[in-house]
Amino acid sequence: MSFWFWHGLRKGVQSTRYPARAENTPGVSPGRPVNTDFSSAEEARRAAAICPTDAIIAHGKSTYINHGKCVHCQLCLRSLPSPMNWEPGYEWTRLPSNRAESLPLPSAFAKSMHIMVVDAGDCGACLRELKQLNNPLYNMHRLGFFLTATPRAADLLLVVGPVSENMRGPLLKTWEAMPTSRKVMAVGACAISGGVFGKSFMCACGVSSVLPVDFEVPGNPPPPLAILHGLLVVAGRKSVGPVQESPKGDTAPWR
Amino acid sequence: MAIIAGLSLGAIFVVCAGGVLFSAVLGRKHIPAVLAIAGAFSAILMALTSAAVLLAHQAFEVGLWILDGFGRFTIHLDPLSSIFLFASGVVYFSISLFVGSFLRNQGDDAHPTLHFSILYFALMAAVVLILVAGDTVLFLISWECMSILCFLLINYDPRGQSDKSAGYIMLAMSEAGFLAVAVAFLLLARSAADLSFASLRSASGSLSPQALWLTFLLGFFGFGVKAGLVPVNFWLPRSYTAAPPVFVPVFAGITLNLGFYGILRLNADLMHAGFGTGLLALITGSVTALVGILYATTDGDMKTMLAHSSIENAGIIVAAVGAFLVFRALDQPVAAALAVSAALYHMANHSVYKTLLFEGAGHVEAATDTRDMDRLGGLARVLPGLSAIFLVGCLAISAVPPFNGFVSEWMTLQALLRSAILASTSVRIVFALCGAALALTAALAVTCFVKVYAMNFLGIRRGTWEPQARTQAMSKFPLAILAVVCLLLGILPTYVLPILSESVEPLAGASVTTALVQPFFTATPQNAQLPAAFLQDFHNLGAQTGKGFVPGRGLVVLLRGLEANPVVFAMSPSYSVVALALLLVVTWFVVTRLTKRRTLARRPLWAGGIPRLLPLMTYTGTGFSNPVRVVFQAIFRPNITEDTRQTVAVHFRTAIHRQREETHVVDRLLLKPIGAAVQWLAAFLAGMHHGRLNAYIAYVLAFLLLVLFFYRGG
Ligand code: SF4
Repeated sequence: MSFWFWHGLRKGVQSTRYPARAENTPGVSPGRPVNTDFSSAEEARRAAAICPTDAIIAHGKSTYINHGKCVHCQLCLRSLPSPMNWEPGYEWTRLPSNRAESLPLPSAFAKSMHIMVVDAGDCGACLRELKQLNNPLYNMHRLGFFLTATPRAADLLLVVGPVSENMRGPLLKTWEAMPTSRKVMAVGACAISGGVFGKSFMCACGVSSVLPVDFEVPGNPPPPLAILHGLLVVAGRKSVGPVQESPKGDTAPWR
Repeated sequence: MAIIAGLSLGAIFVVCAGGVLFSAVLGRKHIPAVLAIAGAFSAILMALTSAAVLLAHQAFEVGLWILDGFGRFTIHLDPLSSIFLFASGVVYFSISLFVGSFLRNQGDDAHPTLHFSILYFALMAAVVLILVAGDTVLFLISWECMSILCFLLINYDPRGQSDKSAGYIMLAMSEAGFLAVAVAFLLLARSAADLSFASLRSASGSLSPQALWLTFLLGFFGFGVKAGLVPVNFWLPRSYTAAPPVFVPVFAGITLNLGFYGILRLNADLMHAGFGTGLLALITGSVTALVGILYATTDGDMKTMLAHSSIENAGIIVAAVGAFLVFRALDQPVAAALAVSAALYHMANHSVYKTLLFEGAGHVEAATDTRDMDRLGGLARVLPGLSAIFLVGCLAISAVPPFNGFVSEWMTLQALLRSAILASTSVRIVFALCGAALALTAALAVTCFVKVYAMNFLGIRRGTWEPQARTQAMSKFPLAILAVVCLLLGILPTYVLPILSESVEPLAGASVTTALVQPFFTATPQNAQLPAAFLQDFHNLGAQTGKGFVPGRGLVVLLRGLEANPVVFAMSPSYSVVALALLLVVTWFVVTRLTKRRTLARRPLWAGGIPRLLPLMTYTGTGFSNPVRVVFQAIFRPNITEDTRQTVAVHFRTAIHRQREETHVVDRLLLKPIGAAVQWLAAFLAGMHHGRLNAYIAYVLAFLLLVLFFYRGG
């Protein structure tokens, strides 16, 4: 006979207090590289050269990060004599580079949002992080977020994976089947920029080449709290994270 | 009135004979027309005859010639048989038109022969004779004719392809039943003056309880075979499935009823079957209903499934008859009248909607050449008219108001609930359990017919069949009549119950009209048929709406109780249908008003994002009924063999072949053991045949000594 209810009562509430309070428990987020000023241009070039997905761009002595491409391999942290700066935190949700602003869902959805998840060819990592949102620690139901299996009832289309050729059609069908108040959120570096897959004849290189994306959650995979932040942004209960500065006079898509 | 009844009864036989004659004279091409016209005409005469008897409030009796050694043949048409005759008339009217239009639209090789025409009209005459027979000999002769004609019609197959075994099983069971019935009648006749029903009735009072029990058991077995009761109904699904589509409606709508007629005539009219026999009938009926609906829900063949559903309905009817016998034996005439009128009502309803459904199944089979519900689908677009009519049948049989199945099933359950007035706790428990079984049956029936309608008519086409043009040409009129009858029987119970009352009053000793149809239209505070306060209360509820311009006693079915509990139960489908229709209109109006400014977007069907929805991917009947199959695993006890082919390792399967075999629970628990026992006995006795001559001589000697010993005195 198990006394799970008794154990439960004794342990008290274990769910994270986020978003009411910041969650600072060690390990909830792997952190991420940020723009770094090096002491010489050579160091900056070496940092840019080590990045497998060209997420780091050297500009003089400085390096700039495109988080949409960073796959969290941590080479720039561990394999460089002078590493990139690394920041903790998880409120990373941002607007796609081609958008000046995205509106959240109408306020009626703030406390009740139904999410349709489409796996457009992901490796399983982002899905695994997403799944954590249902566990007692993150427990997104307390915030009024629910997964649904039918696009007819969904308010948010959450896409993970780089959109492989075989998933392009189903993804579009799902989007078309949703009510028009829908929002689209790309989760993970692959869904934002194609990640390690890049553009190929079998891969569409990110959701934005198929659908209009409203919000992006960078990370590879983004930790559960980052995804939760994304959901809160879509629901209009949080604003997008801080924008990484881009080098002056450069028109490349930076954010 | 008696003249009318006699003339039209005679005319039935004349028309039947005329039908045969015209079929012979006009030739094969015109037989469908003859079947339709002569059949419909004699069906109208059946209804006329019975209506004449019911309206005249007296039985019609005429003695025929005397047969040496058997006594006088008598025709006796009383209200009980009139009810059955009327139901048969209504159903036969539709069936005859259906048969005509069906056969006309078949290919030339399926054209009926004179042979079919003779069998069809002979069966019609035999059915009428059974219902009007006033003595044992005529009854038994026509019963036997009916059995043999049914057997011949099952095997009627101009193309000569069908499997004959179903017909033989049916014939064997019918003959066993016939013998049992004959012995039962002879037991009754032992102390009677002659073989007429009247003298059997007067003689049955002197029978000992043991003889009554034996008569009941024999009769219950014999008639139970025809009525499809567990455990002697294994022939029924087989033969319904094997029978030609034009003939199955006759089975379900006509000959099944003869079983109930026999049970009622023998146990309720000719003798007063006791309390124990009633309980036995009640339990058998409930078990039959449950077993029937379980197999109906899980069966994938449309005809077999409808056959199992007939078994279910037979169970409900016999359970009500059983409740009637118990109530009557315990001196509760009102409850008994309620139970038996529920049984008769359900009998009529079942023959109407089951005929409709079987005719619909015939249409579907003709249109698609398949009966497999896993392969049908999307027929609503191909046959919209048939779809609407079939839907009425499905709603009626699932007991959904405002159709007729609701009224009779509701009355049956109410009758079982009346066991509250019985003194014995154990009897009350039996009633409660049987009531629970019937309630479960009713719930499963809804599942079952949701499946039938949804899998056949909705969704997309799952099989490779192409809709055949010849079905579009087939007339839907015969089915439409029955659909209208379903609706009328469903919304006008207060006009049907007085007619039933006529036939059940002599059996139960109380009138259902006075018990159930309260005179809200005729009662005034002065004449005190109803207490003034009671009348006032119900006037406020609207029970007197329509007084003055609607004929009859009232539109509310209501059983009054004692002071503390003035209303035991009440309902009024007539008012509810009006109220529901008004509600529907108001709702429609409000919703359209509220959503006027809303734009409506139509998108393609959501099918999980797959490139194309293939028919094989859609939900099938088997999938739909699987929950029932899983829950009742203990009853079905399937034998599942799974054969998996794989190429390299367990993860690379190329084909999974899953086979599921079921033995019907009755076959498994009853027939298999009996068969095994007989074979064991035969093997044991075969030990005598060892071939030694001297031992054989010893057998002869021993037998001779035995005979001499017994006859030593004489
Ligand atoms: S973590 Fe890896 S992918 Fe991300 S910026 Fe550093 S080197 Fe590039």
